[in-house]
Amino acid sequence: MRIGILSFAHLHAEGYQAHLKNMPGVELVGFSHENAEEAKHFAHEYGLKCFPRHQDLLAEGLDGVIVCSENARHLELVELAAQAGCHILCEKPIETDLADALAMQAACEANGVRFMTAFPMRFAPSVQAVRRAIQEGRLGRVLGVNGVNHSEIPRAHRAWFAERELAGGGAAMDHIVHLADLLRWYFDAEITGVYAELDNLFYPGEVDVDTAGLLLVSLSNGVQASIDCSWSRPTWYPRWGHLKMEVVGEGGAVVLDAFAQHLTLYARHGPRPVSWVGFGSDPNRAMLEEFIASIRERRQPSVTWNDGFQALRVALAAYESSKSRSVVAL
Amino acid sequence: MRVGIVGSGVMAEVHAAGWRSTGAELVGCTSAHLEQAARLAERFGFEVYPSYGELLKAVDIVDICVPTHLHKAMVLQAAGAGKHVICEKPIALSVRDGQEMIEACERAGVRFFVAMVVRFFPQYRLARELVTKGQIGKLGVMRLKRVSYPPQKSDDNWYFDEARSGGMVVDLMIHDFDYARWLGGEVERVFARLSRSADGVGRYAQVILRFKSGPMALIEGGWAYPPGVFRTALDLAGTDGLIEWSSDEHGPVRSFVLHRPGEAASVGLPVAGLAEDPYALELQHAYRCIQTGAPFEVSAQDGLEALRLALAARESIATGKPVSL
Repeated sequence: MRIGILSFAHLHAEGYQAHLKNMPGVELVGFSHENAEEAKHFAHEYGLKCFPRHQDLLAEGLDGVIVCSENARHLELVELAAQAGCHILCEKPIETDLADALAMQAACEANGVRFMTAFPMRFAPSVQAVRRAIQEGRLGRVLGVNGVNHSEIPRAHRAWFAERELAGGGAAMDHIVHLADLLRWYFDAEITGVYAELDNLFYPGEVDVDTAGLLLVSLSNGVQASIDCSWSRPTWYPRWGHLKMEVVGEGGAVVLDAFAQHLTLYARHGPRPVSWVGFGSDPNRAMLEEFIASIRERRQPSVTWNDGFQALRVALAAYESSKSRSVVAL
Repeated sequence: MRVGIVGSGVMAEVHAAGWRSTGAELVGCTSAHLEQAARLAERFGFEVYPSYGELLKAVDIVDICVPTHLHKAMVLQAAGAGKHVICEKPIALSVRDGQEMIEACERAGVRFFVAMVVRFFPQYRLARELVTKGQIGKLGVMRLKRVSYPPQKSDDNWYFDEARSGGMVVDLMIHDFDYARWLGGEVERVFARLSRSADGVGRYAQVILRFKSGPMALIEGGWAYPPGVFRTALDLAGTDGLIEWSSDEHGPVRSFVLHRPGEAASVGLPVAGLAEDPYALELQHAYRCIQTGAPFEVSAQDGLEALRLALAARESIATGKPVSL
């Protein structure tokens, strides 16, 4: 199975390449990246073959690609990959507007390739346990969900995350889709109403995107949930951030802290004064395994284009709600 | 000075214990529940007065620990009798009632303290102190949690009756509305959602506040957990740092005991540290200010403004729309 990575712009590419390199039956052919200087650095750092043009990598005859470009360039790369007959695993959010996201689906259908959205949290055992607790009715009727996906501002890793043109927005575009997807998946329901307060409270004058955001959403099954998507962890927080969800039901509550398994490290010369170093399984690996298995077994991946699309609708509705100061119905 | 407590429930008991640390003379209580009052009187060695009027005659300060819908008439009566008033939160069930109570006490020249106890919890005080010292820069997003279990009452659960308690959003969440306002100042906009159980009781709410000066807050409140579980947390994120605290974190002492069903206190109260009981600190402060004439750290007006936020949240819940203040 021959796999390539289209663009190294998204920092997750670094994690993906490490997993793909030691996955049985998988050959990581290389990556494409347009910025020559960065490309050289990544090629050297990870010992990978680098293709300056995406078409050159696709000409290698690949079975699947992982699209890790800036959000606003996903459509361009998905179209190229689809035309080359490659199945696609695409970073989230799948695009920055709905028309582009729909065009991606059309390109995949026209070329008979399958599209998987990169929602790794669905593959975390802790998250799966929460879903089981809900679906087996162990919490009774659910009263609400308190969701948090906090991080530091990711610009130190990749500047484009905080650039409107390339990212499509800031913290809201970056984080809402993860929790929106988990809510949809937990309850097999759609998000039908969104109220959001979004603003640039943490880096005014430094970036021109939203860095703080709070949402209250309602689901088609009547459940209410809050989402905090803020880049509110300081850059000296012990870790990039966290993902937490508390599901409160009439029969009990379940509290998820998806990255709770960690050692606390105090290193004099570390990048942070105190850091939380995670241990246990990496959900990214299980996600990549599902992508590979779906290609091998010629079936739809468990996370689809529609999952990415519905989550994107929620993120875009948040921007609309914040602007109009009203509840946006979906 | 002589102090009398009105009520004999959980809060009356907690306050009675707090008053013992103030140096005031706790003379007695009055209550609609005579048996309960007799037990309290025996434990604290004071008298049971047959009526509120009789108690008022015997004291300098009255401490009102009864259901919220009774607050207004009792405060007005105490002011009329020229007695200082300590009153449990929420101050009242409507802004107009609260205003009347404040004005009546001002006119009568008596002090009026609304027991916003969270301002006396050491972790909440320290967090605010760090914020006001600029340790986390400009405040951005506040997250405040206060999720407990439904108040347990064998008969007539007034907490579940919004006409008497204001419901969970008013009765429980008022603490964090007050705290958020203490940090963020005046509020511009409120949006809220509430889940109810089949019997109509509001069980779990999420509220977004947007402050005039910029910051935003998510306030989570609930009567939602199994009996005995009470979780509180704060998370204050600013331009230069972050303050995190959660009641889930291990305390200095952890006990591991077998719990039998039905052992939970009838009303959940958050647990503070070992040495300082916030309820005692609150009453010590109020008593000192009444004795010296110094202003209270938390005014009755603050109590009223917190109620205004809670009522705005209820309005948003009812209309499904954000409410501008």
